[in-house]
Amino acid sequence: MSNFEGRVAVITGGGRGMGRAHACLLAARGASVVVQDILESEAHETVRMVRDAGGEAQAIICDVTDIRSLRTALAAMERRLGHLDILVNNAGIGSEASLEEITEQEFDRMFAVHVKGSFFATQAVVPGMKARRTGKIINISSIWGMVGHHAASDYCGAKAALLGLTKAWARELAPWNIHVNAVAPGGVLTEMVLQQPNIETRMADKIKLVPLGRYADPSEIAATVAFLASSEADFITGQVISPNGGQTIVGI
Amino acid sequence: MTHDLDGRVAIITGAGSGIGQATVWLLAERGAAVLVQDIDPDGAAATAARLGRQGCDFLVLVCDIADPQANRHIVEAAVNRWGALDILVNNAGIGIDRSIENIDELAFDRMFAVHVKGTFFTTQAAVPALKQSGRGRIINTSSRWALAGHDRASDYVAAKSAILGLTKAWARELAPHHITVNAIAPGGVKTAMVRRTLGESGIATEEKQVPLGRWSDPGEIAATTAFLASDAAAFITGQVISPNGGKTMVGF
Repeated sequence: MSNFEGRVAVITGGGRGMGRAHACLLAARGASVVVQDILESEAHETVRMVRDAGGEAQAIICDVTDIRSLRTALAAMERRLGHLDILVNNAGIGSEASLEEITEQEFDRMFAVHVKGSFFATQAVVPGMKARRTGKIINISSIWGMVGHHAASDYCGAKAALLGLTKAWARELAPWNIHVNAVAPGGVLTEMVLQQPNIETRMADKIKLVPLGRYADPSEIAATVAFLASSEADFITGQVISPNGGQTIVGI
Repeated sequence: MTHDLDGRVAIITGAGSGIGQATVWLLAERGAAVLVQDIDPDGAAATAARLGRQGCDFLVLVCDIADPQANRHIVEAAVNRWGALDILVNNAGIGIDRSIENIDELAFDRMFAVHVKGTFFTTQAAVPALKQSGRGRIINTSSRWALAGHDRASDYVAAKSAILGLTKAWARELAPHHITVNAIAPGGVKTAMVRRTLGESGIATEEKQVPLGRWSDPGEIAATTAFLASDAAAFITGQVISPNGGKTMVGF
């Protein structure tokens, strides 16, 4: 288990769910965390949780698709904290829509949040990482990005695009010792999932599909992110780790 | 240093050198009681010497992993000593770089006996104790070559691929018993054996083809195994993690 003392980690979408879990765990292990979210009170709540536990945290309130604001805020944070060492591209939005229902606007928003947001957040932190010849980028994909789903093709497409960015950046940034990997979670008990209608009855059916017979707590996904962010994973780049309880086992 | 494996009992096969040796040292350092299996008495003794100096709880067993009777004996030895078994690392292996014309039936059978039968029957013997553990972990050692192939050693590549098949099947079969089953597929590792056969200049040539520009030390592969063995990876099963410096990125 690595110590992140002296390192700064940026978590996009850190205001709730898995993003909050990533921020809290990295902070608990010593990282100073920058919590980006579009949701102001949620981001501040994560910051408060980290600080109450004795950690260091700052908030960036902006839409990840507002590239100019994102870039400006990350640059300001880098000047203030000295360096950004870890970037977790986690900000995302869900969908359950069928192909016919997805409007152009919804499609654009889906790709803007997941793909453009991750792309330009990474572009913003890379110069500093290259200069220090060290860096960890963790992109949050999904098992749906690996195996598809019967709906939400906009979401599946965007999550698959993140796997493409992961592999390309792993090769492009390797000469500067910057490691790029993806985490592709299966079922996770986030607020977003727990707030779905009739979730209690539906959950029984959902977990029947998972060999381990349960969904993960967000902290379990954070544990994989923390492993990839640590020096223990210094030879791991361009890979996808999927904590999914055995639901998806990819053919290799 | 973390002690997240305190109270666990682990068996590591092929622990007399290389990755297996590094793995046993790391798991013991993190608190596990360890059974060191190897066919080579000198290697096993070298592994044990350091465990002894560090005051670790360990047991050494010298036997051939390709002997199903020995496989049962390994598990019995651990269970008799510690009354439980939580972690099995199937690591014992042999590597010989032969072209197809130069692999005779005896060599072929030996390759599969060590990797596949050894892994299969050690696991079969271990399953009752792992079921009782409630947090059983099986980590199988495959190879990057099983993902990407190689221009020689097809017996080795096929045996390492069979290990991926066992991993995925057991992940599903053993999930109801809270046993997770994963594989690691290491890329280039600077073990003593490889240093002898390739030489430093041979390794340097190979390293040029790795995006990160280097091969790993055995300890870095052990770190991935230790992660999979820990509570942090409780939702990860049926997966393959390949610490390979970015040389192979599998297409999902």
